[in-house]
Amino acid sequence: MSEITANHQFDQKIQIEKRWAFWKGVVLSISMVFYFGFAIRYLFLQFADYYEFDPGFLGDSTILLYLIPASVVLGYLWSTSPQSLGRILAEKTNRVLKNFFDKKTTAGWIYTPSGIFTGLVLLVTAAIGVNVTGMSIRKLFEADGFNGAINIFSKILSPNWGILDLVLTYMVETIFIALMATLIAVPIAFTLSFFAAKNLMRESRRTIGVYYLVRLIANFTRSVEPLVWAIIFSVWVGVGPFAGSMALMLHSVASLLKLYSEQIENIDHGPVEAIEATGANRIQVVWYAVVPQIVLPFLSFTIYRWDINVRMATVIGLVGGGGVGTLLMQYQGLAKWNEVGTAVFAIAAVVWLMDTMSAKVREAIY
Amino acid sequence: MEAGLSTRQSPILEINQLEKIYDNGVHALRNINFKVYEGDFLGIIGLSGSGKSTLLRSINRLIEPTSGSVKFKGSELTNLSSSKLREKRRKIGMIFQHFNLVNRKSVLANVLSGRLGSYSTWQTLNGSYPIDEIERAKEYLRIVGLEDKADNRADELSGGQKQRVAIARSLMQSPDILLADEPVASLDPATSHSVMRYLERANQEFGMTILCNLHFLSLVRRYTTRVIALKDGEIVFEGLPQAIDEQWFREIYGEEAVEVEIN
Repeated sequence: MSEITANHQFDQKIQIEKRWAFWKGVVLSISMVFYFGFAIRYLFLQFADYYEFDPGFLGDSTILLYLIPASVVLGYLWSTSPQSLGRILAEKTNRVLKNFFDKKTTAGWIYTPSGIFTGLVLLVTAAIGVNVTGMSIRKLFEADGFNGAINIFSKILSPNWGILDLVLTYMVETIFIALMATLIAVPIAFTLSFFAAKNLMRESRRTIGVYYLVRLIANFTRSVEPLVWAIIFSVWVGVGPFAGSMALMLHSVASLLKLYSEQIENIDHGPVEAIEATGANRIQVVWYAVVPQIVLPFLSFTIYRWDINVRMATVIGLVGGGGVGTLLMQYQGLAKWNEVGTAVFAIAAVVWLMDTMSAKVREAIY
Repeated sequence: MEAGLSTRQSPILEINQLEKIYDNGVHALRNINFKVYEGDFLGIIGLSGSGKSTLLRSINRLIEPTSGSVKFKGSELTNLSSSKLREKRRKIGMIFQHFNLVNRKSVLANVLSGRLGSYSTWQTLNGSYPIDEIERAKEYLRIVGLEDKADNRADELSGGQKQRVAIARSLMQSPDILLADEPVASLDPATSHSVMRYLERANQEFGMTILCNLHFLSLVRRYTTRVIALKDGEIVFEGLPQAIDEQWFREIYGEEAVEVEIN
């Protein structure tokens, strides 16, 4: 009897998931149809503008009011087909339904009406891309600009080695900015990573809440470019290497947190179970069963991060984060291209060196 | 009921109306009732997926049972707070099919980790244990025949040796009962018997009560004192291992099944 109830419950669950996925698919389809209509109109208006003819009723912005109901109807009709892109996306990403997804329907999918429509959407998007970015083959080969670029290039390629000692002094600053950012970021990211690992935080509602909070803050911090953080910190603590290293530190914490916590989620659960069974508490379980499994990957990520930070520190210098980037910016402002060349070569050499070293060290660890 | 049962004292483990329904709807345990007495070597048999592992894990709540009662030495486990539960877990040893050692740590450190529950977090963070604990750990390693491997890393050992380290780890707990989840399922026949003999010694010399999931009936007949059989989450047989004849075998494992021996 109870087996029947269990099966029944499962069937019901699938029904609910199917309905949910269907409506998700409908929303996706409607937005795609709307986007397509909007994009076609935009392209047409650009075309009309360029060749100077009257776009007629398409030029009237009230057309958008008709586009909304039209795309709702068309989008809904489209998603009644299980082949529609919206439905496929919704069902394939559903945690329950993806196991039942009929793979046969996806073969030769590109030749179906849905596939052709998807192709059209991509094509229109590419056309808009060319228009928005103002791409032009003609400009690329205009004599004036082209000669200017060649002039700068030839100066950069004959660096002024007389200022090498100055460049190297700033280079050392850059390396230390990266080092301090990494040193401070590692313990913070290490501690937080356990709270951002789902397998350790599933226990109760409260812990899963902490998990989502940490993830949210980390994702926000990571999605703001270090360049922006550098600007914020240079206002906060003043222009210079301190601002640069704080910006890099913040971004490193968020990035390492992601890598670390994913590593924790991939551990073998067996030892965790065994240590839990001995009556050890949460911290002991983490310290004895989780940490030994993650130290080496963590070390490898950390070295890689330092490598990335050295590269980023030069960029951060451009907005006042100190180091060789700041020097580069000053010479560029004065159009001293030979000196810019020296800085560029120094940066390239150090980045190459860091890259090779970090690859070797990580190879040795594994 | 077996003969001689009435002369025994109250059971060390008493399970009543235990149920487990997983989130995905699988009904893994149905109305499980049985008692285990001190000194028992209880074998639990059944097909893969019949609920053997779920049953063992529901006892020390590595898996949270849906309903029912688990009484260990007279006290209820299912409603304990997590700190009280940890206290009880110290007296319940467990070994696993895949040994579940911490591979990057030394054998000695793995054995000592059986005692983690008895020390505070701060005492254990730097990994140093009192000298008498280390002596005990070495003693148990000697008992399982691995005293010369104490400083080796756990992943350098063979399967049988790993399981013996796991036994030593649970001996460190001086547990009242030992839960063994298919301890020999990933070992070859000769190694299986050697591991089973260590469990037998733990049962007879240290008076440890053992609950052991097993696949091979020959091992059940050779080592256990009592047996229960699970089928689709229900107990379909309870009694002496010798009582499992051809007919019972088909009942437990299905009509098609043929018994294979492990010698």
